[in-house]
Amino acid sequence: MSYVPWATAAWLSAVGIYGVITSRHYVHLIGCLTVVQSATYVALLSVGYRFGSVAPIFYTRSPSTPAVDPVLQALVLTDIVVGATITALLLALTLQVHKKRGTVNPERLRPFRQ
Amino acid sequence: MPLPVAVPLLVGAVLLLVGKFLPGRIPDAVAAATAVLVVVIDAKLAAHAAQGPLVYWMGNWQPRAGVTLGIAFVVDEAQAILGAFIALLFAASFAFAWGYFEDIRAFFHVLMLIFLAAMQGFCLSHDLFNFFVWFEVMSVTAFALTAYRLEADPLEGALNFTVTNTIGSFLILGGIALVYSLAGMLDFGALARSLAHEPGDPVAVAAFCMIATGLLIKGAAMPFHFWLADAHAVAPSPVSVIFSGAMVPLALFGLGKIYWDAFQPVAAVQVLMDTTVLALGMTTAVIGGLACLRQRHLKRLLAFSTVSHGGILLIGLALPGAASLGGFLAYFIGHGLVKGALFMVAGILLASAGGIDELWLRGRGRPLWPAGIAMAVAGILLGGAPFGLMDCGSRLMDAAAAARGEDWVLIAIVLGAACTGGAVLRGAGRIFLGLGEMPGEEARGPSEEESEKPDRPLWLMMLPVLLLLILALGTGLPQVDETAVRAAGRFLAWDGVASIAPVTPPPPAAVPTGVHPLVPWVSLGLAVLIAAHDLGRAWLPRTWRRRFERAFFEPIFTAIDRTHDGVVGDYVAWILVGLALFSVSAAAALHAG
Amino acid sequence: MNRRTRLVVAGICALAIAPAVAVVIVHIPAFGHHPLPYGDAINRAAGAERHVTNMVTAVNFDYRAFDTLGEELMLVAAVTGTLVLLRGRRGENVSDRAAQAGDRPVCERSEAVTLACRIFLPLIVTFGLYVILHAGLTPGGGFQGGAIVASGTLLLYLGESYSLWRRLMHSLIFDMLEAAGAIVLVLCGLLPMLSGAAFLENVLPLGQTRALLAGGLILVENAGVAVAVTAGFILLLLEFLEETRATRGGEKP
Repeated sequence: MSYVPWATAAWLSAVGIYGVITSRHYVHLIGCLTVVQSATYVALLSVGYRFGSVAPIFYTRSPSTPAVDPVLQALVLTDIVVGATITALLLALTLQVHKKRGTVNPERLRPFRQ
Repeated sequence: MPLPVAVPLLVGAVLLLVGKFLPGRIPDAVAAATAVLVVVIDAKLAAHAAQGPLVYWMGNWQPRAGVTLGIAFVVDEAQAILGAFIALLFAASFAFAWGYFEDIRAFFHVLMLIFLAAMQGFCLSHDLFNFFVWFEVMSVTAFALTAYRLEADPLEGALNFTVTNTIGSFLILGGIALVYSLAGMLDFGALARSLAHEPGDPVAVAAFCMIATGLLIKGAAMPFHFWLADAHAVAPSPVSVIFSGAMVPLALFGLGKIYWDAFQPVAAVQVLMDTTVLALGMTTAVIGGLACLRQRHLKRLLAFSTVSHGGILLIGLALPGAASLGGFLAYFIGHGLVKGALFMVAGILLASAGGIDELWLRGRGRPLWPAGIAMAVAGILLGGAPFGLMDCGSRLMDAAAAARGEDWVLIAIVLGAACTGGAVLRGAGRIFLGLGEMPGEEARGPSEEESEKPDRPLWLMMLPVLLLLILALGTGLPQVDETAVRAAGRFLAWDGVASIAPVTPPPPAAVPTGVHPLVPWVSLGLAVLIAAHDLGRAWLPRTWRRRFERAFFEPIFTAIDRTHDGVVGDYVAWILVGLALFSVSAAAALHAG
Repeated sequence: MNRRTRLVVAGICALAIAPAVAVVIVHIPAFGHHPLPYGDAINRAAGAERHVTNMVTAVNFDYRAFDTLGEELMLVAAVTGTLVLLRGRRGENVSDRAAQAGDRPVCERSEAVTLACRIFLPLIVTFGLYVILHAGLTPGGGFQGGAIVASGTLLLYLGESYSLWRRLMHSLIFDMLEAAGAIVLVLCGLLPMLSGAAFLENVLPLGQTRALLAGGLILVENAGVAVAVTAGFILLLLEFLEETRATRGGEKP
């Protein structure tokens, strides 16, 4: 039972990378990269979890209640920002490539070979 | 202490705020001045770090009861010197790019300053996640700068670059998750102490493999190097200077940091570094060199030579000991200087001669003869000449390898250097002297038409080139050997646990002397031979051309061409091949230990 | 390689990697029972030391504020990069009509949509501001709230017209706001150094726990991040939306 989070993360990465390898449309490829990213979220958050704990917000609870790890949640926050920025850049690149070459099929987009 | 990072960030943000209103060349001047300021700050840090590593906790969060709460910067000589060199390369690049980026005004300088700050943070950081954050900032600015020209080839090159390096980032994140589950902390010193408790844990080895793969993707080792030829060839020349001169070798140095600061207590990781990483370095050096000879697009040629020299750097990293790390440091700086100068020459050719294809440019470089001399000198240095900073580095690596009885490592270094030096010399001969009427294998290499704006005078563009080459030539002195080995020794002894425990100065390491004095001459001679062969092809007997070239070399070159085909799905498949290689070797290493 | 070769290669590699993954999964410390010394230390100490009740905010803006600085500048770099990539004179040559994509029909805006957007826009913006301001108390913070506010402004385009959206979202102002947010964050780091403290050390008065104005420097950094993130995302939306417009005169941009 305790293997499920890690197996999920591994499965998500595998699916995402399979999608990247076999993709025929760049926007689909960017979506597959997002799937791989979700795998890292799952892995990071699973490390910080503890059974019987609450979220690390102590507004109504005393600070000595067992809580999950806030550091990993901050890491995941940074990870999300990383993902958002890279997705924006990739989408902008895809838009421009479509304007210049008329296609967004990765197998037909080869630098230096037309 | 955090100033090398904070100053460029502040100036960059201010430039973003007021950049629209600043006239003409002020952003250029401001950016160049900031880079010079960072050089000065880093040099002072290096001087201060001579007695002991400087430890600085951000926000003053000192470790408490064995738990490191904050993020530390640990500065020692080696890292500060590298930081200073990188800032110097940026200053030269800003000088070279004076007035180049007209239509995006201050945006180029903002991106480059953030790039500079990220590299400084990457060099100095002592916390695993902070290290990753600066790695990401470096990557994001690089992605944006590559596609500046907004034509089909740069956009496709940038897409390949972004997709492969993003997968690398995800691998590093996975590795961080695994390490955190074992150690519970993110500071390198705390990690080292905690990993020493469980030296045989497969999770630690797996984490190292993932993080190493991510860094090797950026550092362009085989089989992760395919993106580099596409990206560096299409980026604007001032940006390629930084990519090849600093970004790629810095990723390899990052691998060294991770290994020595955190993962060294794990025995299986040591075995991996000694065998797999060394083998990857050797293969990269040779294949990168061979691919170099196939190219006619000058920047793509230089990109492959970066791959090859990256392989040599990786060899220096994989050999244990202060001598080889000292060699790595010297070679890093020497190669960066020379490669930066070469990319600037390519930029000069693009701007003043109007093309970048070696065959098209034949003879057209004659009016630009200072650039020709620079290119020839750079080619000699790349090919392994027995003087200069790069030679200093390879001598030290040579001695380190011989001391372990692994002299055969030198073959890869010699082959890689000879091929790349030969290709550059061939280019210089063809473009500036008009030799080489009969093209050989390079005629079938990929190319494109390209030009840049010719609005800077030649002398202005040559100045940074001359500065870089003079530094590369003039600093190959014995004192540099000593400094390199001393800095390396201190890095190895201090850097890991400096944040959590006081350290004592290590005993001075003996500076080894070169064991094979003929090797640089062999390498240089081979480079000249290759260049002469290619340039004088018309005079060679036809039977030689038919038998040897077409039967022997052509299949190799065709195979290289077919694999570097520009399809991003292929590149990702090769990343999987590399991961599989690491899995198998890690399993073997764990089993043996 | 063609597709099939690629899949074969990937399949063989997967066969080599899968056992390694299995071994790692078996050896990871048990899920839910990890020793978390770093997290526990912060949970215990941060409330009393910084007078905030949201530990994630404390980590983000105080203990590991240096990471947040890097992250913020990465966002600035990415937005600048996108502006560089999608560059072209803003506002010229674009009309109010949406561009045609193939033969998909372009529908008229219905009044129900306009009404719904007018109701929800103030609600969403208020919610976003609430999330930003209560960073130290309840889940939320500058990043999260900034994203909410920026997405909320998109309802202006959805409910009204593109030209109204362009008129109200002055790109120059948001350029400057984004830069200002980044400058605030870097200054939060440098200014404590002037008074002898460390970079990014929390030197402002801390206030009372559970009050809105608690946390000292955390609040200032939070505000800087919120402004920068909001402005950054709005700039991204501006650039991408402009690409969806038909050009005047039917020429290609």
